[in-house]
Amino acid sequence: MFERIYNWIDCRIGLTELIRKEFKEYYVPRDVSLWSTLGFVTLVGFLIQAITGIFLLTYYVPHPDHAFASILKIMNRVPYGWLFRTMHIVGANLLMIVLFLHIIFVFYRAGYKKPRELNWLTGAVLFVVILLFCITGYLLPWSQLSYWSTTIMTAIPTIIPGVGDYISRFIKGGEYVTGITLTRFFAFHVAFLPFILIVIAALHVFFIWRTGFSSLYDDPEICKKVVIYTGRPQYKDGKPFYPDFFNKYMLMMFVYLIAMFFIITFNPDMFLSEYAYVQADPLSTPLMIRPPWYFLAPYAMIRVIPNKFLGISIQLILLVLFLVWPFLDTGDEKNIRKRPILLGLFSVAIITWVVLTFLGRF
Amino acid sequence: MERRGFLKSLFSVLSLTALASFIYPLFKFLSPRAVSARLKKVTIARKDVPAGGAFKVNVNDTPVIVIHHPNKGYIALSRVCTHLGCLVDYDSATGRIICPCHGANFTVEGKVISGPAPRPLKKMPLLLKGDSILIG
Repeated sequence: MFERIYNWIDCRIGLTELIRKEFKEYYVPRDVSLWSTLGFVTLVGFLIQAITGIFLLTYYVPHPDHAFASILKIMNRVPYGWLFRTMHIVGANLLMIVLFLHIIFVFYRAGYKKPRELNWLTGAVLFVVILLFCITGYLLPWSQLSYWSTTIMTAIPTIIPGVGDYISRFIKGGEYVTGITLTRFFAFHVAFLPFILIVIAALHVFFIWRTGFSSLYDDPEICKKVVIYTGRPQYKDGKPFYPDFFNKYMLMMFVYLIAMFFIITFNPDMFLSEYAYVQADPLSTPLMIRPPWYFLAPYAMIRVIPNKFLGISIQLILLVLFLVWPFLDTGDEKNIRKRPILLGLFSVAIITWVVLTFLGRF
Repeated sequence: MERRGFLKSLFSVLSLTALASFIYPLFKFLSPRAVSARLKKVTIARKDVPAGGAFKVNVNDTPVIVIHHPNKGYIALSRVCTHLGCLVDYDSATGRIICPCHGANFTVEGKVISGPAPRPLKKMPLLLKGDSILIG
């Protein structure tokens, strides 16, 4: 029966020819490894967030008087509600881990060099969008952790002289974090940001499809002598995408799922503090409120640098550098091991990030 | 200018105008509403604030702490820490106001003693009337 359905579809859209051309006859470079699957794993991670988020939407109430109670209902009374909510929380944190690893690997392999500048640019914008997802989603449970972390994060723009106060009030929808903040964060989290992410993710995947996998053996003359599109690079000495590399995709997807369910089973509170289980009290600030781990480094940087405005300016400059990096590093050499200065700076950046994350906990 | 070029330019101008006429209402829609000019006063009883103690109250959506200092009398301060917006508390043992988030310390008059707070706590207007204290 499946064969009949397949043949019916194949006759109409040429599915066999599509699979043959895009999967079986497409050869990936011989130097790709498991690390090259991280982009796919990020996509899987995001799909899990989208699906579990949609399920949570059926019970969640975005009102300060009911938000926390609706979360308690999901966790304690809705059948398997605890599973979807925990998948959403653990998935968000695992997604950030995989995303950071993906960015590090792409940078290390110079996957941003021509002709892949647009891949990097769309990927960098996606990174910012996902951070916005994390910020907006963090408030929704309306717990003490949510409320006061959001209060601190939305107060950071006040450091900017002149317009900082207005920006902070614009984000919150008022002087303080209130129900107005909750509803606008909810609207961004479930409507605006998903739309933006789908558009940019589609562009990102499209550009990757057109430019092919990045390899250290890419022709450095591409787009130099001949300024028209010459097609996706062909690696006849490489491996067929299907089944060889496709199996790697599936393997890493299952590693991700295993890690997720391992944490859900044995340590579901790994990414939450005790204040995540107390309803928000706008009149009582708990001790030692901290942002989530992926924001600890910028948080610590602002605290470590005496001039707060300088601290936030450095971070904005780093963000801009991150976005436009392919247009700054335009040399032909892709192997970072032959570029000791860049390798050194890259290592220092990662070590600094780790140290700041550690400092941000205290 | 050729007709095609004119139509391209016209289309660009009309599109930008349409976009701008959408962006302005969107910006105003998301902007925070202005605070009402008519502010309400809150009345509390003097006996609610014992000597050496403090009382927390909300005044016009601002969390406020009223401290009864033996030497300085009644002082009303905003509880919103000037660092990153956490709410401060009065520690009667040390006679200081402390922020639980990043350890900013203030005097009972709201002046910064130590920590990352850049400015003193905002003082709230306070009026003593018989057995009552009017704040705001």
